Amino acid sequence: MLYRLSVLWARFELGCAAILALCVTLLILLSVVTRSLGNAIYWVDELAIYTMIWMTFLGASAALHHRTSVAITVLSDAVPPTVTHMMAKFVDLVIFLFAIAMLWFCWRWFQPLEIIRAGFDTTAFQSTMFNFVYAEPTSTLGLPKYLFWSVIWLFAFGATLHSAAHLISRRIER
Amino acid sequence: MSPVLFLVTLFLSVPVAIVLGVTATWYIWESGNIVLYDSFAQKMFSGLENYGLLAIPLFMLTGELMNEGGMTRRLVALARIFVGGFRGGLAYINLLTNMFMAAIIGSATAQIAVMSRAMVPAMKQEGYEKGFAAATTAAGGLLAPVIPPSMMFVIFGVLAQIPIGEMFISGILPGLLLAGGFALVITLIGWQQHFPKGHWMTSREATHALVEALPALLIPLAIIGGILFGITTPTESAAVASLIAFLVGWLIYGDLKPRNLIEMFKRTAVNSAMILFMIAAASVFGWVIIYEEIPQQLAGLVTALTANPFLFLLIVNVALLIVGMVIDGIAAIILVTPILLPIATGFYDISPYQFGVVVCLNLVLGLLTPPVGIGLYISASMSEVSPGTILRSLWPFLITVWLVLILLSYFPILSTLFI
Repeated sequence: MLYRLSVLWARFELGCAAILALCVTLLILLSVVTRSLGNAIYWVDELAIYTMIWMTFLGASAALHHRTSVAITVLSDAVPPTVTHMMAKFVDLVIFLFAIAMLWFCWRWFQPLEIIRAGFDTTAFQSTMFNFVYAEPTSTLGLPKYLFWSVIWLFAFGATLHSAAHLISRRIER
Repeated sequence: MSPVLFLVTLFLSVPVAIVLGVTATWYIWESGNIVLYDSFAQKMFSGLENYGLLAIPLFMLTGELMNEGGMTRRLVALARIFVGGFRGGLAYINLLTNMFMAAIIGSATAQIAVMSRAMVPAMKQEGYEKGFAAATTAAGGLLAPVIPPSMMFVIFGVLAQIPIGEMFISGILPGLLLAGGFALVITLIGWQQHFPKGHWMTSREATHALVEALPALLIPLAIIGGILFGITTPTESAAVASLIAFLVGWLIYGDLKPRNLIEMFKRTAVNSAMILFMIAAASVFGWVIIYEEIPQQLAGLVTALTANPFLFLLIVNVALLIVGMVIDGIAAIILVTPILLPIATGFYDISPYQFGVVVCLNLVLGLLTPPVGIGLYISASMSEVSPGTILRSLWPFLITVWLVLILLSYFPILSTLFI
């Protein structure tokens, strides 16, 4: 069940990452065209960077599901299959613990309970918590930056889901 | 404890990016600086807020589009015009096509995969020894990260905070030097092994091949020309190159099917995400490097050994050859640049461009050396030759790369002439 969910989520992540890769290309091409016409749109570059970052975190999470991340496999290639299996479980465990840590880091950063307690009043939240996560603006887009930062939440959730599914699943695939 | 955790997780095949993240997490816990956890995720995000990094997915996409767009065989035909008639013509064609491809593709592994499929069967058919055929192709792939564009140079440029366009330009001469060295190796082996005779194209065939290849040549022209003349940034040139690759492959050559675009974008997204995610994780790992003053400590050790920049580069070369044998080139560049670059520029006054070229070429060599040599295994599986057989023919090429590395370390001008 969990594995099935992990498969579906990875498919979703990969689909989104592919669309975002297309968007990065189109945005930079738009920037080239408008600049060469002497009428550059100032916010395109920043949006392209955020699009790339979203692509990265979604793609990185999907790579954890597919076990395609860059890793050093000198040792795991050299040992017998039973040991490889144990190593793979160890890797899943490390990823799971890191994913949980990422969720915790996001929690500390966004302080969701506190902002709810403040009735989503960011000014009140800031004055009590001295946390300016909801106040930080983007440079050129005129949008609050937390909208873009929120991809880390998605990554942390995805990584937790994929590593948990691998951890309890019996299958090993590379 | 952090170094132990780093090494254990790294060698137990935890993904490199996760190793960096876990080590940083542990280090912060151990040092009691828990407040850093509040900005941990933000630091990862901001590690990617760099315009230059946009070039990575775009160059990957160009490679994908070129691969599907039927450009390889047209470039092979183009190379045949210039060198096809020499004895051992196909080996030179292989090298020259690798040079053309290196000016389009920025990754050695991608290039080795494409070229092994295209060249090795043809060389075997003409009577070349199969190990030599695979070795020539694999060595030619080493040109990809040196001749612009280069994924490794983008990453090095971002980490070293130097203009990527100039980093690209500094690779031109070393790339030509390397190609010249490889040509010499092919000639010497040819004298010994009596390569099959080549044949020149008729002028009609040559004109046809040239006309066919011209649209494909627009891509390196857009990339190198755009950067060299300052018309486009490397990121923009990558986007323009991908558009040209798409239009040429689809409308002119008719080999590229738009319905395959979804898969190409998926591969682009996932392959570039893997690299970029390592860079994001490296930015939190940077805390460990900075707080532990690793460059300063290492500099203390190295400067006690020598004050000579050339000797320093030789030491770095030897150390990195070992690093490159076990760690993937791009992961290694992300790991070692923040540690070694401050020593090179701060203590030895070495140009970051020279240092970048030397380090990138050195680390990419690890692709062809066991036990990790991914390039060697790709070449072996694509050309159905065992890695051992390839290695037996590969060593003259490896020696050439080492000699070029020594030259590049001794003469900074080779890397900095055009900047």
